[in-house]
Amino acid sequence: MAARPGRSVLSLQGVALADRQFSAHTARLDLELPRGEVALVQVEDEHDAAMLVDLCLGLADPGAGQVRFLGVDWTTRTPRERFHRRRRIGAVVQTDVWPSHMTVLESVLVARAYHFDQPQAEAIVDATELARLFGLPGLPVGRRETTPMRALVRAACVRGFLGSPDLIVVQDQVLDQSSELAVPMAQAISAACDRGATVLWITASLATQAAQFVQPNHAFRLGDHGLMGVRRSR
Amino acid sequence: MIARARRYDPRPWPRRALAALGAATISGIGRLLLFVSFATTVAVVAFRREAWRGPVWLEFKRVLHEVAVRSLPTTVVTGMLVGFALVTQAVYWLALTGTTGLVGPVIVILLIRELVPILVGLIVFGRSGTATLIELGEAQPKGWLRQLEIQGLDPLALLVLPRAVAFAVGAFCLATVLLCSTMLTSYFLAYSLELIAYSIWDFADAVLRSMKIQDFIVPPLKCIIIGYMVALTCSTGLGRRDESDELQRLVPRGFVRSALAILLVNTLFDLVA
Repeated sequence: MAARPGRSVLSLQGVALADRQFSAHTARLDLELPRGEVALVQVEDEHDAAMLVDLCLGLADPGAGQVRFLGVDWTTRTPRERFHRRRRIGAVVQTDVWPSHMTVLESVLVARAYHFDQPQAEAIVDATELARLFGLPGLPVGRRETTPMRALVRAACVRGFLGSPDLIVVQDQVLDQSSELAVPMAQAISAACDRGATVLWITASLATQAAQFVQPNHAFRLGDHGLMGVRRSR
Repeated sequence: MIARARRYDPRPWPRRALAALGAATISGIGRLLLFVSFATTVAVVAFRREAWRGPVWLEFKRVLHEVAVRSLPTTVVTGMLVGFALVTQAVYWLALTGTTGLVGPVIVILLIRELVPILVGLIVFGRSGTATLIELGEAQPKGWLRQLEIQGLDPLALLVLPRAVAFAVGAFCLATVLLCSTMLTSYFLAYSLELIAYSIWDFADAVLRSMKIQDFIVPPLKCIIIGYMVALTCSTGLGRRDESDELQRLVPRGFVRSALAILLVNTLFDLVA
């Protein structure tokens, strides 16, 4: 894939993925994700998957190479600018992790209220619509401890897809194992792509039922030395 | 468990002791400078209008309610106990020696300038600071700090700023309540025991007359800064990286740091004012 930083939403060029748990090799990653496309990446080790998420979202700097989001290298931005740029990214990660001082509803809406001047009622309408897509009657209003795990996973999906992010990153093993969420997830991804968003789904296995329903433009597997293209047949 | 061999140091023990002392001093000064820069950053951000976005305001209101409203019973009871123990004793002894004219200055100096700011600092830490310390101490090990960062939410703006300002405002409110409850308790107790014969208005008048202009500025400012510093020392819980740094160690460490901050601020104000 040719590197065209100006046109890609997310671009990884010669990025080194070091300190891996189950591989002595440093993987070199090259990935170009244009607007409106879906990429599935199989990363078997959860530690590697979390590192890849951190690199894509500018939470960690690569030892070598460049990670560009909307054409801008994360390393050229200050921490404050990075926070600001992340308003354009939705992430469905750590579905079981919720701030202890907020309700699930507040936690889902907090990023929209913080970054955008959208009235809360409108945000709640959008979030409720997404919650229904993911099989919830509405958004849970209780705290994490009092909300069933099933509802938390769905609320995490709402949190990631809410608004109009340019990039959506999906990475959670609970999602991989949930067959119930496969169809709604595929629908949400398809709707996001139609809107112009780019989706990167990092999955433990491309063979999981959840990933089977997604029609990716690109599919990769993280090997010892880097990303290798994979051809999928349904 | 990994056993590590100690590195052999050929230097004589006085030099080793001096080196250890120097290293400890440098590390302590480094931490102090880091804390000062942290406090300055939060103060600068607090004066930026764009920092006060919707969720920050909501968090500020929640924490202020926690600090100022939920701590009210504790503060009133503390004020009553202090009023009983301190002011009535002072009034009793002054009445016994026949110099009741000193009642006002004694109350002002002891209570308004010294006791109230320190007590309020300890109440704020005990009632709300420990909860904050534990809450923020779990942010990184439980993973929700990363979750906030992924969503582009600055922890300094969303977690530290509202707590620091709410603790500062709350400390001022609690100081007022503590002072009033102490004064009223002491007056009514002394009056019922017939230790004093003048009215509550004369009592208030004696206190107010003995106060100087700086007594209306310095003690409230002291309480605000103490509340702010307690919030910041408790916010250092965010630096707890994993479960190996136990909560049982975090809370005593936080208490020591908060107590030191309270006494340090108190002393600095006394020296300056």
